[in-house]
Amino acid sequence: MKSKKRVVTTVQPGRRGSSPASSPPPRPQRGPVSQASLAPRPMVDRGARATIESVRLDASATVPMAIRPVDLTVSLVPDRGFVLTNPILVASGTFGYGIEYSEVVDVQRLGAICCKGTTLKSRIGNPTPRVTETPGGMLNSIGLQNPGVDAVIEKYAPLWHEWQVPVIVNVAGHSVEDYVEAARRLEGVPGVAGIELNISCPNIGEGGLQFAIDARAAGGVTAAVRRVTSLPLLVKLSPNVADVRPIAKAIEEAGADALTAVNTLSGIAVDPSRTRPFLGNTYGGLSGPAIRPVALKVVYEVAQVVSIPIVAIGGIVELADVLDYLAVGAVAVQVGTAIFADPTLPVRLIDELAAECGRRGLESYRPLIGTALPARTGASSAKGVEYRP
Amino acid sequence: MRLVAAELVDSREILPGQWLQSFHAPELASGSRAGQFVHIRAGDLSGLVLRRPFSFNTVDAVTGIVTIHFRVVGRGTDWFTRLRPGDVVDMLGPLGRPFEVDSRSRHLLLIAGGLGIAGVRMLADEAIRDGRQVTLLFGAASVRDVYPSNLLPDEIEYIVATDDGSLGYHGFVTELVLQYEAWADQAFACGPYPMLRALAALIAGRRERLGVATLGRKRGGGRQDAVGSPAARRKAFLQVSMEQNMGCAVGACLGCVVMGVGGTPQRVCREGPVFASDELVWEGAWGAMSR
Repeated sequence: MKSKKRVVTTVQPGRRGSSPASSPPPRPQRGPVSQASLAPRPMVDRGARATIESVRLDASATVPMAIRPVDLTVSLVPDRGFVLTNPILVASGTFGYGIEYSEVVDVQRLGAICCKGTTLKSRIGNPTPRVTETPGGMLNSIGLQNPGVDAVIEKYAPLWHEWQVPVIVNVAGHSVEDYVEAARRLEGVPGVAGIELNISCPNIGEGGLQFAIDARAAGGVTAAVRRVTSLPLLVKLSPNVADVRPIAKAIEEAGADALTAVNTLSGIAVDPSRTRPFLGNTYGGLSGPAIRPVALKVVYEVAQVVSIPIVAIGGIVELADVLDYLAVGAVAVQVGTAIFADPTLPVRLIDELAAECGRRGLESYRPLIGTALPARTGASSAKGVEYRP
Repeated sequence: MRLVAAELVDSREILPGQWLQSFHAPELASGSRAGQFVHIRAGDLSGLVLRRPFSFNTVDAVTGIVTIHFRVVGRGTDWFTRLRPGDVVDMLGPLGRPFEVDSRSRHLLLIAGGLGIAGVRMLADEAIRDGRQVTLLFGAASVRDVYPSNLLPDEIEYIVATDDGSLGYHGFVTELVLQYEAWADQAFACGPYPMLRALAALIAGRRERLGVATLGRKRGGGRQDAVGSPAARRKAFLQVSMEQNMGCAVGACLGCVVMGVGGTPQRVCREGPVFASDELVWEGAWGAMSR
């Protein structure tokens, strides 16, 4: 079911300003099934995208690029030797523990897997209904149902240890002590490649989110976890704040190795009876293409104030979205909600990104990073984009 | 579980707002069992971001045809009605665990409420193929929603109840169950949550004297099967096919849970959609919240 790499024979390396009238590039195949006969055109106007994509080609040169391998590796945390084979990850909560989709997806090809949110003690989660579709997105309020960190280590870590793909454990909690103790138990466990600190889950009443909306609290919990873990430490930002920049700065200063942005947006849906909210927990987290502009904004802003790498999440459904996130400063992306509709998407994006780089004459995807950020000096690096005032 | 390109062969509105669609999907038509379901991708991803789950209504391994039966409830299902023969959709399946019929069961009672017929329809085919007798109790609001008998196998006994008395028994289908429970070796139900809860309450405590569960078994003896195992479900008198809003349908997102008696939420897509009625909590906050 994997789509084939497209073979490109006529490419000239990234020259800006080819004619806007040049025909738009072939759209990436959207699914294993040809839906040409029935898929309505995307609701989102992609017109703006054409100018970005038409930049890359000039038919006057013929350089065979397709055979040149493209370097997709991401040195996410160089100090700790955390290198991903490619920048396409799968987002926490959408891919279980990595085994659920293994019958239809070659999970070993992914850049990394972020597992379901894990807490110190087991949680049964929120009452149902827990999910509902919204225009261009979905609301979920799972409520961090999970068997607890010890059960996750016992049940899944041995399997992860055999895998080629790194698994990042998403850790959530209600108190600093919860986070610290969970991180301590993950320390040194074979098969656990890193920790993604979930300080921004909007779906549990007792807390969690409180850490992500306050710079001091976010820095505090990050620092506390940093002290007890030698694992690569990613911290997931919430979009449910007025200004995310001071929070991102505080997390960076507290010793986080990378940021992931963003978690879901808080929202509600109304029951068709109009007598109550629809979700069992009233509040849910919005994800999917609907939140992409918001997530892009957060990545764009954060990339200008921190120097640690940013892993972007939010409504990625095709390669153009990946390129957008790279352009605003992300070094890698996580695919989430789109997996539910198209489980093969993340793996296909890896191939499409490589093909895109080949078409642009790039040996690495790294020159794509940060191109839409305000004027800056020096070349972008896979470590992120440094802001120089 | 696999991803399959399925071509629409036939699409009909069999009842007001209810559609029966046939797809050519040989990979799913053989090897799928009654009670399992497919997760079908609807339309464009930037608008409809979730697949839609459908029970297998019928499968035909010879022709490779799979049918689904659904009611138009929103934009996703409406999109499906616009498909034309020759259109191709992306199906993920077969998913979930099937109904478990004890090999000694001779008399099967199927209980369907409204669109719940889609959940048990295929079991009628399987049971008749295996030489069992089937009675289908079907409940609907009124005659206009009654499933057409010409879409059912000839061999089954079809009993209709309508809430307004416009056809068949005047009342709820659950009231008819009392007349058939002694005859039945096992019962299988699919329908609205209140119907399933009423059935579970009706059946609770009757397992000892009913059905095949205790055949050839000394009182209190026999092997204890793990709750939720196929063996335990085969011994249950009542199995229910549950419905819940679904995200991934492979067990990753934990969106579609119902509460199990052990206090652990059970995934409809993975541990279900079929459960023995005594595996689930039907009352209290979790039971009442399911809707």
